[in-house]
Amino acid sequence: MAEEKQKDQPFLSASEDIDVEAIMADIQKKIEEKKDAGLLKQSEIDDIVDMELLPLPDFQEVPNVYENHLYTRPLDESLILGFEIEQERTGLKGLVKRLLQKIRRLFLPLIRFAIRPALNDLASRYGTVVFQSKEYIKILHSALNNMIVEASKLKIEEEMLKTKIKVLEDKIEFIENRERAIEKKIYPS
Amino acid sequence: MRQVHQFLTSYSYGDAIGNEALEIRKHLRDRGVGSEIFALYYHPRYAGEIVNYLDYDRFSHRDNVVIFHFSIGSPVTKKFLRVPDRKVIIYHNITPHHFFLDYHRILAKDCYKGRLELKSFVGKVDLALGDSRYNEEELRQLGFRETGVLPLVMDFSRFGRPVLPVFRDLFQDGRFNVLYVGRVIPNKRLEDVIKVFHLFQTLFHDKSRLFVVGEYRGFERYLHALQDLVRRLGVKHVHFSGHIPEDELVSYYKLSHLYLHMSEHEGFCAPVPESFHLGIPVLAFDGGAVEETMNGGGMLLRRKSHLETAALMDRLRRDDKLRNAVVASQQRALEKYLSRRTGQILLDSLQRLS
Repeated sequence: MAEEKQKDQPFLSASEDIDVEAIMADIQKKIEEKKDAGLLKQSEIDDIVDMELLPLPDFQEVPNVYENHLYTRPLDESLILGFEIEQERTGLKGLVKRLLQKIRRLFLPLIRFAIRPALNDLASRYGTVVFQSKEYIKILHSALNNMIVEASKLKIEEEMLKTKIKVLEDKIEFIENRERAIEKKIYPS
Repeated sequence: MRQVHQFLTSYSYGDAIGNEALEIRKHLRDRGVGSEIFALYYHPRYAGEIVNYLDYDRFSHRDNVVIFHFSIGSPVTKKFLRVPDRKVIIYHNITPHHFFLDYHRILAKDCYKGRLELKSFVGKVDLALGDSRYNEEELRQLGFRETGVLPLVMDFSRFGRPVLPVFRDLFQDGRFNVLYVGRVIPNKRLEDVIKVFHLFQTLFHDKSRLFVVGEYRGFERYLHALQDLVRRLGVKHVHFSGHIPEDELVSYYKLSHLYLHMSEHEGFCAPVPESFHLGIPVLAFDGGAVEETMNGGGMLLRRKSHLETAALMDRLRRDDKLRNAVVASQQRALEKYLSRRTGQILLDSLQRLS
């Protein structure tokens, strides 16, 4: 919007005693001359004007967001309660279920004293291994992610240090030039 | 009115707001009014002159006037609003926070908060002054009733000193020196200055040099992006000075042939009248209060056209008659500006309070 507004404006304002129109005509003529001389093509000029700055990212803005995804599970009521809440069923399905529960009740001592200990034993033996493997994979992912984040930060910092070195180089060069100029003043040859 | 004190968020030497606070204090003390400057941050070299703002309670009195130079959000606002003294703000404008989003998150946050804090002053201060009509207009739009314009105090006596002999040897070598003065921060659009200078150097006058004179600490990422741009474009003879002492600043001004300013947001733009004073032709883009500060002097760019700006620089370089006409227009604008007596305007404004 602001750019559109700018386009409608004349390019230049100056005091009344300066002939802006004549200056603009002269400028346009000069520009055409330069273009005809082939110093820069219009496309090259457009490229220069459109050239964007490429700022380094701020390394403080490289967050470690991976852990949250890795360790946060979706909210599930059964995980909190440890069992599912079952609704009382009616009809044929409810009848069959109640019948099966009665049959199961007959086998309950067998289940409790023979089958369940065996199952628990198996679960504790292999469940621990599965749980440990899961956690190990999470740690590996997390470590890998952290390494990538740190490497990115280091790269950004390296670029920043390069800039600082460039600034220092320029300053040293300038100081050397000043030093030489002072020497010439003190000891003119 | 017993005493008139001033609050600042930060005081650093060479800073326009700091200079104004010093001038106001001097003006008040010369007229026998007790005056101190209180700041949150200040350079250690001013430890004896500037008082920590937290110590203001010792000076506070309901018959005193306290002036707050407001330019950014800070804890000073809270203190200022709590004191029982009569309150005046001088609004120096806050750069819109979006300019800093890519480069300085903390400053972006402070600028955003600053605008919110400015709204919080409505109805709580006795007088709100802007250092330009542009700033005053912003205050009015926010709902301040008692407003006015207090022109920025410009002390041109410091420009009386000569060019450093070493600088003359280094930079008076026949090159056409183009100058930019101001902090190296994104709203100043230094990328546009560099692009225009590149076109000028490539198409019109290769024997040229660009001085970028100003502080870049805290904006190293912006400086990096600018240096990267310089490298990609292949621009030669671009000199970033960093923060420099006053004698060097004067030397840069006096060795320059043209002042180029492409900033998109300015609350006042002190380098413009400084260049006017030193007779350097000014080419400046109409961003914020620049048109008002130029006051009909210099050459005002209404829209950004890099190639036309570069061609205009060349025209100013070649055409002595045009350059003299521009400098004369600048001199007239400066005379109009200097005719406004800032000290007297301030005293008149303070009298309105009593």
